[in-house]
Amino acid sequence: MNETALLQNYLLVGALLFGIGLIGFVVRRNIIIMFLCAEMMLQGVSVSFVAWGRYHGNWDGQSLVLFIIAVAACEAGIALALIVVLCQRGGSLDITVWQQLREEGQPAYVDREIPDERVAAPEWPELTPAGIEPEIDIEEQMHRSHV
Amino acid sequence: MSGAVPAAEAFTAIWSPVVAQTTALWWTPASGRLLTAIALGAVGICVMLQRGSRFRWGGAGLALIALLILASQVQPFSGFGLAAGFWCLAGLTILAAVATIVSSNPVHCAIWFALSLLGTGSLFMLQGAQFLAVATVAVYAGAIVVTFLFVLMLAQPGGQAFYDRIDWGVVPTFLAALAGAVVVGAITLAVSTMPRTRPLDEGPGVASDVASGLPVRPVEAPEGQHVAALGGQLFARHLVAIEVAGILLLVALVGAVAIVIQGRDSPEPTGEARHE
Repeated sequence: MNETALLQNYLLVGALLFGIGLIGFVVRRNIIIMFLCAEMMLQGVSVSFVAWGRYHGNWDGQSLVLFIIAVAACEAGIALALIVVLCQRGGSLDITVWQQLREEGQPAYVDREIPDERVAAPEWPELTPAGIEPEIDIEEQMHRSHV
Repeated sequence: MSGAVPAAEAFTAIWSPVVAQTTALWWTPASGRLLTAIALGAVGICVMLQRGSRFRWGGAGLALIALLILASQVQPFSGFGLAAGFWCLAGLTILAAVATIVSSNPVHCAIWFALSLLGTGSLFMLQGAQFLAVATVAVYAGAIVVTFLFVLMLAQPGGQAFYDRIDWGVVPTFLAALAGAVVVGAITLAVSTMPRTRPLDEGPGVASDVASGLPVRPVEAPEGQHVAALGGQLFARHLVAIEVAGILLLVALVGAVAIVIQGRDSPEPTGEARHE
């Protein structure tokens, strides 16, 4: 009884991992994150394989996952080399740097306005005042923006 | 105009039985809940993917509700310990995966991905696949993610680049979320329409299994000598595949080196010149 439940739940988790990886691969622009999302899709498939292997009570699912891991390692090596070369030539990890590789007749992707980076103001620690209050030297305070 | 009406009629004539049959087959209360969950999840992911949106936590809430509805669609476990362990690990894996694709800082993305991998490894362990759990953590989280963190930090010393603050826009994001939702929905639909239990009046076993077409062999997971048995299986049944995988790794190694050397024909001084 629990075997069917295990299988169903694991297949659901595998599907979710695959779907999330798919969304990330299409939506993100950083080459490395796109690669990580592809790996996440492989993880989803692996989870399903292990679940089926357990359900059928044999080793085939786990063997296949082992090969998936081997292929993923190869893929990681090649992708790493490609990313290093692309980053050296394009100067950026942004995938849109390479958009001249698109099909003929396709419009170029134009960036929208870059939103400002929200830099939070640094929070400086405040000490509890203690002891005798010193004389405040205005001139010294003018010369120090913050400690 | 006169040609349009017969065309529309023909279209209706062709498609209405298809639609009716599909509706009769798939439209049940369960699939309605499933569609709700899928739509909620897609909208939640869309909202979370909008950079700088103030409603990102609202999107996270929607996605969480969707996850709970989805979880109610599959068969529950009988034991409390197994259910608690599974739901903690599965929740951790899925949440970390979502955080991977919605974080704007790539370093955070890689670390969330590593967390998701740890969750997957634990799920493998729960299934009795001990060797795979260790291999996943060692190969993925230990090697691949860390190497990519190195590359990320070499390429982007500042950590976060301007293009990580832009997204593709609302429509492509929505389409992507829709595609993901369709995949998840199709698989969940197939899973949740699987035979849940054997009908009590048909006696144990065979009849419902034949009817479902699934070879149900709920054998206990192989106990003891786990790695030895897996290795025996691999090197007996999949020997050729193992050799091919080894060759593939070697070729990938050589290929990676070749790609990096090929990419280094720039006019700038190369490594040798710098060493002098």
